[in-house]
Amino acid sequence: MEPKEIDWNKLTAVIAKHENEKWALIPLLQEVQETFGYVPPESIEPIAQALKMFPSQVQGVITFYAGFSLKPKGKYVLKVCRGTACHVKGSRNILRLMQNELGLEKGETSADYQFTLETVACLGACFVAPAMMVNRTYYGKLAPTRISSLLAQYGKDKEEE
Amino acid sequence: MEKLSSIGQLEWLRNTILARDAKRKTQVHICMTGCRAYGASEVMEAVEKEVKKQGLSNEVEIRATGCHGFCAKAPVMAIEPLGIQYQEVDPEAASEIVDMTLRNNRFIDRLAYKDPVTGAPVFYRNQIPFYKKQERRVLANCGRISPTNIDHYIGAGGYQAVAKMLSKMTPENVIAEVTDAKLRGRGGAGFPAGLKWKFTRQAPGSPKYIICNADEGDPGAFMDRAILEGDPHAVLEGMLIGAYAIGAEYGYIYVREEYPIAIEHLTIALEQAKELGLLGENILGTGFNYDLSLKIGAGAFVCGEETALMASIEGQRGMPRARPPFPAQSGLGGKPTNINNVETWANVPLIIKNGAEWYGQVGTDNSKGTKIFSLAGKVNNTGLVEVPIGTTVKDIIFGIGGGIPKGRKFKAVQMGGPSGGCVPAQFLNLSVDYDTIQRIGAIMGSGGLVVLDENNCMVEIARFFLSFTQSESCGKCAPCRLGTTQLLEILTRITRGEGQISDIQTIKELGATITESSLCGLGQACAKPALSTLKYFVKEYEDHIREHRCAGATCDSMVISACQHACPAGIDVPNYVAAVALGKYEQAVDIIRERNPFPAVCGRICIHPCEFKCRRGELDEPVAIRSIKRFASDWYFEHIGSSRDPFPVTKAQMAAVVGAGPAGLSCAYFLAKMGYKVTVFESQPIAGGMLGIAVPEFRLPRKVVEDEIKYIENCGVEIRYNSPIDAGHTFTDLLNEGYEAVFLAAGAQASKQIGIPGEDKDLEGLYYGLHFLNGIKKGQEMRLKNRAVVIGGGNVAIDVARTALRAGAQHVQIFCLEPRDEMPAWEKEVEEALDEGIVINPSWSPKQILYQDGKVTGIEFVRCVCVFDDEGCFNPECNEEVTQLVEAENVLISIGQAQDMSFLSEDSQLERALWGALVVDENTLSTNISGVFAGGDFTTGPTFVIRAIASGRRAAIAIDKYLQGASGPVEIPDVKTAMHEDAGLALDEETEQEMPRIRVELEKAEKRVSDFREVEKGLSSQEAISESKRCLRCDLEKERMSI
Repeated sequence: MEPKEIDWNKLTAVIAKHENEKWALIPLLQEVQETFGYVPPESIEPIAQALKMFPSQVQGVITFYAGFSLKPKGKYVLKVCRGTACHVKGSRNILRLMQNELGLEKGETSADYQFTLETVACLGACFVAPAMMVNRTYYGKLAPTRISSLLAQYGKDKEEE
Repeated sequence: MEKLSSIGQLEWLRNTILARDAKRKTQVHICMTGCRAYGASEVMEAVEKEVKKQGLSNEVEIRATGCHGFCAKAPVMAIEPLGIQYQEVDPEAASEIVDMTLRNNRFIDRLAYKDPVTGAPVFYRNQIPFYKKQERRVLANCGRISPTNIDHYIGAGGYQAVAKMLSKMTPENVIAEVTDAKLRGRGGAGFPAGLKWKFTRQAPGSPKYIICNADEGDPGAFMDRAILEGDPHAVLEGMLIGAYAIGAEYGYIYVREEYPIAIEHLTIALEQAKELGLLGENILGTGFNYDLSLKIGAGAFVCGEETALMASIEGQRGMPRARPPFPAQSGLGGKPTNINNVETWANVPLIIKNGAEWYGQVGTDNSKGTKIFSLAGKVNNTGLVEVPIGTTVKDIIFGIGGGIPKGRKFKAVQMGGPSGGCVPAQFLNLSVDYDTIQRIGAIMGSGGLVVLDENNCMVEIARFFLSFTQSESCGKCAPCRLGTTQLLEILTRITRGEGQISDIQTIKELGATITESSLCGLGQACAKPALSTLKYFVKEYEDHIREHRCAGATCDSMVISACQHACPAGIDVPNYVAAVALGKYEQAVDIIRERNPFPAVCGRICIHPCEFKCRRGELDEPVAIRSIKRFASDWYFEHIGSSRDPFPVTKAQMAAVVGAGPAGLSCAYFLAKMGYKVTVFESQPIAGGMLGIAVPEFRLPRKVVEDEIKYIENCGVEIRYNSPIDAGHTFTDLLNEGYEAVFLAAGAQASKQIGIPGEDKDLEGLYYGLHFLNGIKKGQEMRLKNRAVVIGGGNVAIDVARTALRAGAQHVQIFCLEPRDEMPAWEKEVEEALDEGIVINPSWSPKQILYQDGKVTGIEFVRCVCVFDDEGCFNPECNEEVTQLVEAENVLISIGQAQDMSFLSEDSQLERALWGALVVDENTLSTNISGVFAGGDFTTGPTFVIRAIASGRRAAIAIDKYLQGASGPVEIPDVKTAMHEDAGLALDEETEQEMPRIRVELEKAEKRVSDFREVEKGLSSQEAISESKRCLRCDLEKERMSI
């Protein structure tokens, strides 16, 4: 999902949907994030206008929450769980291996917008620790030996395109 | 679905549902939440297809349910009304399940839970220990109903509490009922819910709001997730009751975005409740109006704090604000607001439906009801557990959780996540309730229990939590924003081996300041993990700072490979294993000897801390390091023998060692290697200390010890036998005779007495452990007859019992204070003893020895209830009412050994501690007299041979520094041996190839007890090589990463 000019019609529609809602900012931003895969910086002004807020307030909320990103993310967002249970079962090594395999630091997106590597405080999947999530799919009981085959599964996809 | 316009219509609907569901006799419940990650969907599909194919659609109902709790065995399936559970089910099993079980009521062994001891299948859920010891009230529906089908909830008695409330309770009645039930907030702080409701009801202002806090952010907690996913209507019903009692018209559920399934199920539940008229205007025709909607979090941990959560609902940055005013006065939009957590809300319908009295039947005086815990980390049965408040930590972790995987040692359990603290092993018998847990520095929290074993580093755990709170701190108040950063920096430098000893004090002071001055709970509790680990594991902090040693072998900067770091002597394990894999056995032994001159001894009796830390153990089972070591050293002595050229003497000074045990000889060996002339003074005619006089022949043949000692002597170490250091020849004399340094390593060879009647008499048939072992080893005539009772639960006691069996006793029974699972003896030895027919009677305390005509006739015991007290101190408590009188011809007492200090003249200037042991510097092993060092069992009390060896090497290094006039502490970092073996082994094979650990063969029990032959057999060269190849070479990974 490479960044291109955003679809203003879509944005207007999302704004219109939430404009008159009480305490609308966060639900609105969530839908923008969902629609575009990120919150395009150029959307801040129109959102602020519609909700009668300062752009700085909107920006402040966006940067406060981990759920919003001002930068486009990769097709696959890999969230390595760094919760306690995962940590004591070696998630630090899993993260390190992923960083090596992908050549990405956490928070980075690959140049081809295929992968974004993130960490998450806890997926609530402690019973299968160490765990990670690729978009909305959970993977549990990760072992260092499984990492490259797991990534290959998503890499294959790329070749087909 | 038609809207219900009266309470009567709800009851009518329930009856209709029950009648309809009764038609299909069998129900299959498949977890479709947590187990989805394990292919539960495919299983369900396959079972549905198979049921249809076999024509059972009219008899069998398949339900996609929420979590069953036993997540460790996912995917899980229950079959009702049979009451059986299948685990780790795969789609291929579908036809078998339908054909055998659903059709013919026959059970399938393969899919059943297996008893961990006997391996026998357990089918019925209420017989599986994980469920048997639970009290599932709030979770009763979880795993039994489909969370997306309101009919199931109603059929299971759902919304009955609402019906009862609306027909005959006033809001005040409801609040009184909840107050009487002593329901306390399950989110962590434990505030009485009834009181909170009352405040909000009484607060002026309108409208009023209620909120469900479903922002379960505590890492390690997932009980709210399970309730939301598995039984969402329970939360809705609880909130409905709350709204009625408080007088709220509107409610919000604030759920975190990381829980997509919870959001999905809640959305469906809300729609269904609205359709049925259980939400909205004029609910059930009673004129009560209340609506509820969902707010989805945007990923900020601090939003779990109530004021931050409300700010987030209002669309602002989720930052907490100072209280008061409390939400009850001024909450959402400045209106009175009541916030409770998911689990608290889910408890409410139970209280209203069954009454406060019923509710209070379980729990403690101050905390009634049950609590759900999520068990995670190093525990066998990870999952969700619901128990009465007041259950002990031990019951939860061992009784229900099945203990620690791979036989490792329990270290602590972190309770309450980043805002909580750790509960160490000495508090296992503590009752889990709000007040007790708080007292020892942890909190109940939301109920996340993360179990830590010996392979976790407590400093690193504290650092981990601080890095979490530091990054989640909202930044509003300075104490939290700056304090977390400072704490994190300090903890990080300690884990990097760059800490200073003053850091410990700084953490305490800083922690106290942050706790007092932070704005919200996040800051106020953020120091807890550091403070509580510091309270119970200060030694680990000190070891990181002073010795650069990490007890969990996890701190990167100090650890090359975990096995090497775990070895007290620091042997370069990966390299000698690699050498064996390449067939270079001589080189392997040389590598071992760089740190340990007793390879063959340790290859037999070492407790191998290395294997417990082995990373291969995380994949399947640890590499059999000890057996590999034995193989290499046996090969060495067979092919090369113990002869060698002595180390050249290059230094002028001479050193003396007192005691030729493993500590003394190791010290002498390394001093000789450094070029000193060393003399060892040994009071006995043989060397080896405990190895020579006590460790029984069947575990450590004399020949092996002799070979090792001969080798050490050939290195240039002179051993003077029958040369006691005593009043006639003191260690001060040694200093005058030209020895410039003396190492005292006289061991711990005095048997402890119990101090019970009969012990003082010189009875025939009464022995002390070490004396007995020594006598047998020397070949003295010590034949036992008939029955022998051994007292003690340690390793020596097991040795004594097994020796007694070989020395003529027909029946041997061991009695010890500890319960079986707390026996200090090494499990492997205990099992071998059991195989030999020895009986173990745990939890008995000896009371008196019975005798007649100067001969032992028996012994009386009382029941030992508890060995350690609430503070974790050794303080056995007995129930004098329960006694047992055992007839026996022999009693062998083996309750521990102590140092025998009698050889030191009383006026010796050596500084003693209160209890008589020598005062030595832990780092340099130096005593108060310059040039005199002491170590091994002699200063620490009895421990394991590898620790004595490490102590001896430490002394050698310290003595060398002393003699060379160097200052500063002794530093023994892990180093790679110069003989580097770059065999990649398993690391190069990118496969998950199954390669199970080698099984070491033992002599058959019935044969081996007839004499003293060695029980354990060695590996063949082929076995040793293939076992060595299982090594993952963690050390190389580290090297590659550092390049």
